[in-house]
Amino acid sequence: MISQELNDKITRVGSGTPAGNLLRHYWQPAALVEELHASLPVAVNLLGERLALFRNDLGHWVLTARKTRSDEPIVYYPNADQIQILDDRPIYPAVEKNGVIFAYLNDSDPPDFPNFDCFRADESHVFAFKGLWECNWLQALEIGIDPAHASFLHRFLSDENAEDHYGKQFRDKVIQTNIPITHVLREYHCPEIDVEETNYGLKITALRHMNNGTTHVRITNQIFPEAICIPLSQEMTITQWHVPIDDENCYWYAMFTSFGEPINKQLMHAQRLKEHELPTYAPKKNRLNNYGYDPLEQKTQTYTGMGMDINVHDQWAVEGMGAIQDRTREHLGRSDKAIIRYRRILRKAIKALEMGDRTALPMHNNDQIKSIVGPLSNDTIALTDDWSGVSHRADLKRRAACSWDASIL
Amino acid sequence: MSGEKSVTLQKSPTLSEIIINNELPWVQLIESQLLDIPRPVMPLVLNGKRLVLFRNDGGMLGLIGRNCPHRGADLCYGRLEDNGLRCPFHGWHFNYIGQCLEQPAEPKGSQMYKAIKIPTIPVAERAGIVWAHWKERYGFDEAVNTAT
Repeated sequence: MISQELNDKITRVGSGTPAGNLLRHYWQPAALVEELHASLPVAVNLLGERLALFRNDLGHWVLTARKTRSDEPIVYYPNADQIQILDDRPIYPAVEKNGVIFAYLNDSDPPDFPNFDCFRADESHVFAFKGLWECNWLQALEIGIDPAHASFLHRFLSDENAEDHYGKQFRDKVIQTNIPITHVLREYHCPEIDVEETNYGLKITALRHMNNGTTHVRITNQIFPEAICIPLSQEMTITQWHVPIDDENCYWYAMFTSFGEPINKQLMHAQRLKEHELPTYAPKKNRLNNYGYDPLEQKTQTYTGMGMDINVHDQWAVEGMGAIQDRTREHLGRSDKAIIRYRRILRKAIKALEMGDRTALPMHNNDQIKSIVGPLSNDTIALTDDWSGVSHRADLKRRAACSWDASIL
Repeated sequence: MSGEKSVTLQKSPTLSEIIINNELPWVQLIESQLLDIPRPVMPLVLNGKRLVLFRNDGGMLGLIGRNCPHRGADLCYGRLEDNGLRCPFHGWHFNYIGQCLEQPAEPKGSQMYKAIKIPTIPVAERAGIVWAHWKERYGFDEAVNTAT
């Protein structure tokens, strides 16, 4: 449990708020490149600000404030000719990275981008998409650094055919075995969790010790301040930001990155368009239709009764907490170890900014930032008494065989 | 406290939510037969408190706060099993008076569950009607959690 005052401090993102100020010191996903096929400018609602994205005279992407109607919905995509740019406001820089436009909503010099796989992979090996969740960004992030929830929230009461897993989370088999990950998650629901602070955020190791003397090792990451990097399948990872639209709404922006074959983007896109409305990228299953909840399915097939798409499960979990989770009533347990650790880093960074020391922020030292690589993110099986090092070796092997330069030495 | 009574049955954003405003010591909720359904779990808002009404395997009725005390997931989508209601987020299991009995993702031997209790209102069934003992409500923070 935390105080209401602290909850406000770490969740609210408007201009001048402590967490808002922190997020304004990091590049924020602002739009998908696929949204820019329409004429410019394009409306962008980000960190409580109503902005417009366009190219300046030099051809560079920039954002600045636009005129806003008082009755404008918070998720709003007017036509270009309805957008009126305000010409007396700060102009923020934006850059394109593998299908995503990132913006820096601050007058200060932006930091460099770290050398993460999603940024350095060839364009053919990265697919980007986004989706709307109607809740505060922090609860959206926190579900992503909670390795235990996958054993419950995403539990399938039986295992789907792993041949049909392309582009879907948790459906692959564990590397070098015939065991579906859904099986491991279901049968071993109390992972040992290890959290390690890194130069990009947190490395989170979830160990599921199985009854045959082996251990399932899943490595996921928190990338400061608001992203995660997790395995999708044996060949793909997801790097996903939880970007505030305002205090009570956010978008997830995901960059799917392949270490193997070029991504079948058409298939990945079609899978996701089936579940989302354009131009808002709002999920078709949502609060208004009870997330497709079916009590019979909950009894016989899935833990939630909300279908097989794990994004819907996560969306239900975080939206059901309320617009901003009331953390004065929460009871964190040992399974929430990474969340507790993350909030400590967040508070420390907020404090550093309050003291005017931006050099103390993670990934703000441009001399070192290009040497930040990876992060390692995979599922492996190891002998229970010798699991350490197995993830690392599997990672090196995958990188060595990769068609783009994925080296980390 | 007014004795004024109003009952609204409405199709709400979350399942079929029943909204009742009545601050008498004992409040009539619903006819018992409304719970004669395969999954007797119902979201209910009583005097601004967001609650879940459910019947366990043994036939006992529970009326407890709607948000899981762990991280706030919405228990009206809970799994009705093992003689109680289980949160779909991490499997925390609660009995009909809101006492937590299991936290399956916590390490073996953890006693944390013993201290976890959801706010609750005693209920009784008389002549086919479910009543809530509003006056004996337990564990609610009166300052917050009153918004619907």
